[in-house]
Amino acid sequence: MPTTQSLGVRDVCKSFDAVHAVQGVSFEATPGEILGLLGPNGAGKTTTIRMIMGILRPDDGEIQFSFADSNPSVFRERVGYLPEERGLYNEAKVEDLLVYFAELKGVPRSEARRRAKDWIDRLDLSDWAGKKVDKLSKGMQQKVQFAAAVLHQPDLVILDEPFSGLDPVHQDLIKAFIHELRRDGMTILLSSHQMNRVEELCNRIFLIHRGKRVLYGDLMEIKESFGDHNVQLRFEGNSDSIRSMAGVSELSLQDGRADFVLKRGYDPADFVRDLPEGLRIRALHVDRPPLHDIFVKTIGGGTHEAA
Amino acid sequence: MKLRKVIRWEFRAAIASKQFLITTLLVPAIMAIVGLVIALAGEGSGGPSEPPPPFLIGFFLAVILFVGAFMSGVMAMYAIIKEKQSRVVELMLSSISAWELMAGKIIGLGLAGLVQVTAWCVTLVIGVNLIASFPLSSLTLVHWVTFPLYFILGYLLIASMFAAVGAAIKDVHSGGAIGLIGMIPYLPMISIAAIIENPTMLWLRIAQYFPPFTPSIMMLRIGALPAVTDGQEFVPLWEIATSLVTLALGVFLMMRFASKVFHIGMLMYGKSASFRELWKWGRQKTI
Repeated sequence: MPTTQSLGVRDVCKSFDAVHAVQGVSFEATPGEILGLLGPNGAGKTTTIRMIMGILRPDDGEIQFSFADSNPSVFRERVGYLPEERGLYNEAKVEDLLVYFAELKGVPRSEARRRAKDWIDRLDLSDWAGKKVDKLSKGMQQKVQFAAAVLHQPDLVILDEPFSGLDPVHQDLIKAFIHELRRDGMTILLSSHQMNRVEELCNRIFLIHRGKRVLYGDLMEIKESFGDHNVQLRFEGNSDSIRSMAGVSELSLQDGRADFVLKRGYDPADFVRDLPEGLRIRALHVDRPPLHDIFVKTIGGGTHEAA
Repeated sequence: MKLRKVIRWEFRAAIASKQFLITTLLVPAIMAIVGLVIALAGEGSGGPSEPPPPFLIGFFLAVILFVGAFMSGVMAMYAIIKEKQSRVVELMLSSISAWELMAGKIIGLGLAGLVQVTAWCVTLVIGVNLIASFPLSSLTLVHWVTFPLYFILGYLLIASMFAAVGAAIKDVHSGGAIGLIGMIPYLPMISIAAIIENPTMLWLRIAQYFPPFTPSIMMLRIGALPAVTDGQEFVPLWEIATSLVTLALGVFLMMRFASKVFHIGMLMYGKSASFRELWKWGRQKTI
């Protein structure tokens, strides 16, 4: 458990009329960590985020920040937000818009302009600084929004689907920036349906379903608690030798490709040692079950509390 | 001060819009054409044109100020619907309160409206002076003091009403019955002739304290009364003072109501609110 938390969400509830959107949710986040905020559509994710951002007031429970008191006009300057619903002022010029957003977060004008220019350079938007927002492509607008979320160097930033609509090159660019922000000690909440991105970036995850916490903790521990190693093997040779291996279950075999699960307690190192001779290995991948499977299994079935 | 930054931003955005340029130029153009027709008609009838009755300038000012408030109110509504559709609002509300955002929009657009109305008034004064020499001195101190006050407060009231409507509806086409709320302040204009003819009617002296009616009734009364009583009598000062106080109170309550509807309505995309929901939202606790 983290010792120096920067964000503490405790027993927070929020209802809209008869809909209990969030029911007693608690979690923490620490500086320099990336916490994955996951959940299916309509699980209460956005409501939770809006409560942290001070847009909605919780019906019950509390949200605390170590870097600011709980007065919205104070902590709003120390948090950044990239909402899932993207939108900017279309008639405004890119640089002016970034300066405006930074000023609303309390950054003095001259400093805001300097940082806006800096981020425009880093995001490769120099040719567009003086153009109106509606002249930009969707991906470029997304980069502008990312800059708007972090320009004022907040202590806590919430990024909701930061990669959607970006090409792979720019996805990597944003990923590098996220890592950089984390190294600088920012607390980052990352919400995404792209499980591979969450696995790449997050130390810990928080999974919400029907307004309740269903999974929370260290990503590796959660994966381990979800059990057995998955193996993907590509090979040349006789497949019977694999079929006859003792620790292998849930085997699916087809032309040079074997997917299976190692039985509980069967160490991957032992498995590698036990691989049949005469089998030419093209590729071998051993891993805990991917987050994707954990997500589907948890949401589809019962609940599971780890760590 | 965040509010000042929002006001400056909204003011600039309003001034830079095509809509603003068109309405600023169009109204004086129409006035010029009407003035020209009147001037030509006057020449056709032979003798020197009759000087317009002295209450006309007050009356025209009232109408112009009112049209200005209406246009700015509609602009505020469009700005809010646009803000909702562009979905920038979530980002904004993570930086400032709904109150700051809405007050900033209304006041910023109001300043733009003032620039516009000033341009119209200057055109009008110049235009009238071309047709017939019409000394501004027929405007008394009461006009100079009260008209701007009624305009500013009336503007804020109308704009907050439009803002609430803008926040509650999905798009400009789904206003429905709710859109009619914005028309309430104009109801007294229906009986404009009666007000000018008899500005001391009892129902006027009661209705003038109902905030949505206050600006139009008072500006018409103050504009017309000196004419009727031959410049000897004005609307009693205590009536003016009381109506300004009730109007200011109305503005405060309407702005509070509007900012709540704004806050809650903004976050509910794709849905227009019913009257009942509006009322509920207005009383709901927000941050």
